[in-house]
Amino acid sequence: MDQKKQDKHEYLYQLRNIAFQYSLGSCKIDAIRDVSVDIKKNTLLTLSGPSGSGKSTLLNILGLIEPPQQGEALFLNEDISAMSAKQLNTIRKYQIGFIFQQFHLIPVFNAEENVAYFLARQGHTEEEINKRTRSSLEVVGLWDHRKKRPGELSGGQRQRLAIARALAKTPEVIIGDEPTASLDQQTGREIMGIFHELVKQKKVSIILSTHDAMVQSYADCNIHLHDGALK
Amino acid sequence: MIFLSFMNLFRNYRRTLAILLTVALGTGVLFSFKGFINGVLEQYRETTIHSMYGHGQVNAKGYRESVYAEPWKHWMDDTARIEMYLLKQPSVEYIFPRVSFSALLKNRNVSVGGSGQGIDAKAESQFFDSLNITEGETLKNQADGILLGSGLAKALDVSPGDKITLIVNSVDGKINQTDLKVVGIFNTGVIDFDNHVFRIQLREAQSLLATDRIEFIAIGLKSYKDWDLFASNVEAAFPDLDATSFAVLDKVYYQNSVDWLNAQFHVIQLIILAIVLLGIFNSIAAAILERKQEIGNFRANGESVFDIMKLIIMEGVFLGILGSLLGMGLAYGILKFFLDNQVLLPPGPGTTLPFYVSFEFTWTMVYTTLILSTIAAIIASVLGGLRVARMPIAEALRS
Repeated sequence: MDQKKQDKHEYLYQLRNIAFQYSLGSCKIDAIRDVSVDIKKNTLLTLSGPSGSGKSTLLNILGLIEPPQQGEALFLNEDISAMSAKQLNTIRKYQIGFIFQQFHLIPVFNAEENVAYFLARQGHTEEEINKRTRSSLEVVGLWDHRKKRPGELSGGQRQRLAIARALAKTPEVIIGDEPTASLDQQTGREIMGIFHELVKQKKVSIILSTHDAMVQSYADCNIHLHDGALK
Repeated sequence: MIFLSFMNLFRNYRRTLAILLTVALGTGVLFSFKGFINGVLEQYRETTIHSMYGHGQVNAKGYRESVYAEPWKHWMDDTARIEMYLLKQPSVEYIFPRVSFSALLKNRNVSVGGSGQGIDAKAESQFFDSLNITEGETLKNQADGILLGSGLAKALDVSPGDKITLIVNSVDGKINQTDLKVVGIFNTGVIDFDNHVFRIQLREAQSLLATDRIEFIAIGLKSYKDWDLFASNVEAAFPDLDATSFAVLDKVYYQNSVDWLNAQFHVIQLIILAIVLLGIFNSIAAAILERKQEIGNFRANGESVFDIMKLIIMEGVFLGILGSLLGMGLAYGILKFFLDNQVLLPPGPGTTLPFYVSFEFTWTMVYTTLILSTIAAIIASVLGGLRVARMPIAEALRS
């Protein structure tokens, strides 16, 4: 019994036969079908597959943005479907970091303020906010650019800033939806290098969706989806 | 979050400027209109006070609401003590003891019934400067002078300088008469008043009536704002007296006109606020729709719908306050510049003299306009932002 409990805590996510459908007019389209997977902590995991294979839907479920319509999904041993909106908000605020292909940075804030904003929303002291902001901007090599606004940064720098923002929250997991898709190959490699180091040094889990074989080459594990199912 | 709300105003300068101008235009119009209404009401109030009633009157308790066969029995006696008290009040500038009585006015073969007022004419001429004298001059210190209402003068067919005979029943039932000289003719615009009322010196009236009592004392204060305190002091010092303000005495014309103008202002205020609200809603809704993905990102990072609405509402508050201040500042500057010489308006209800009004500033206008415009901006923000704030996170991020 104790051994089983110990095993369960090793996993960040445990998904059992989950399914998700989208409505398109009167039609129902399967985005995810009967997916079961366990994801351990401290892993760099990639989700691959062609467009429409269900990567983004699975990421939304893992990011607690949408609950599965069928099956069971556990986050740190807690059933996602049973969580209230407030619980989901709290987990997303403190335990999950997000990185999006389009960065979604706050254009009216400089790099430092972009990182500090969500830390302030977490309720940290100013001293802690400054410490974490500096640390995360240094990790991604943007401390010297801290006073620049997103519009003054290159695409690669913006994605680094998005990573710093997610990292500063010290989440259990960082979820990235094709974070290198809008970057050139060289910049993409640099970003993946940062992710790789984060997993090794910061003990954070990273889950990325990607089409790119280069990105997959950095992963500890790759899940390939096809028509919403594991392949 | 407050800082982000403020900084969001600089996200799209042109849109922010458009919203600020929408708020400023509505607020400016509201502020100007209220200032103009205030100016009209102030001038109308002063005209009413200085034409007939003063700031109010003091009379025996219940006298004004009652009809008596022998009213002089209910007039105030021992008036010297009352007058001394009134003159000692710091808010009092003038007191005008008056009596009124019925009389027969006779010019050769024409006799007309009239309603006389015995007044301290010299004192009253300094205060009641809004009485419209259409011929001759007002009654001042002419001991045998009489000032006639225009209808009464027409009925008697007299002009300033003519002599008429005044026949009065004294309080002890005797018939007294005297010859008086018409000094002037007034026209208040109130036909009933102009057809019956005439004024003579108080001493002459008391002599004809054979009494030294006073029917009531009209009061001239330093400021109309002093009335309530003055009235309560008088009624406390003399429990057998009533103090009644001019607004009550002239309810039919003055107070009803004020209520009517204010009601009109409230309707226009609502229309302007609705325009402001729609203008802001349109701009804010467009701005929020453009930020769907960003809002999706905020939600993904743990912000609740309530948090997002707070952010949007705070932006609305900033826009409301800044737009209102801009609008009021511009309106104040423009109105002070163009209306410095005042605007001539036709006579108000119950008056016959045209009057000048200017934009009348009060701090209450600023608070009221600021609060109303900000509330309109908040409502517009809620209406414009709620749909996006409540949108499923995945849908917001995809859009």
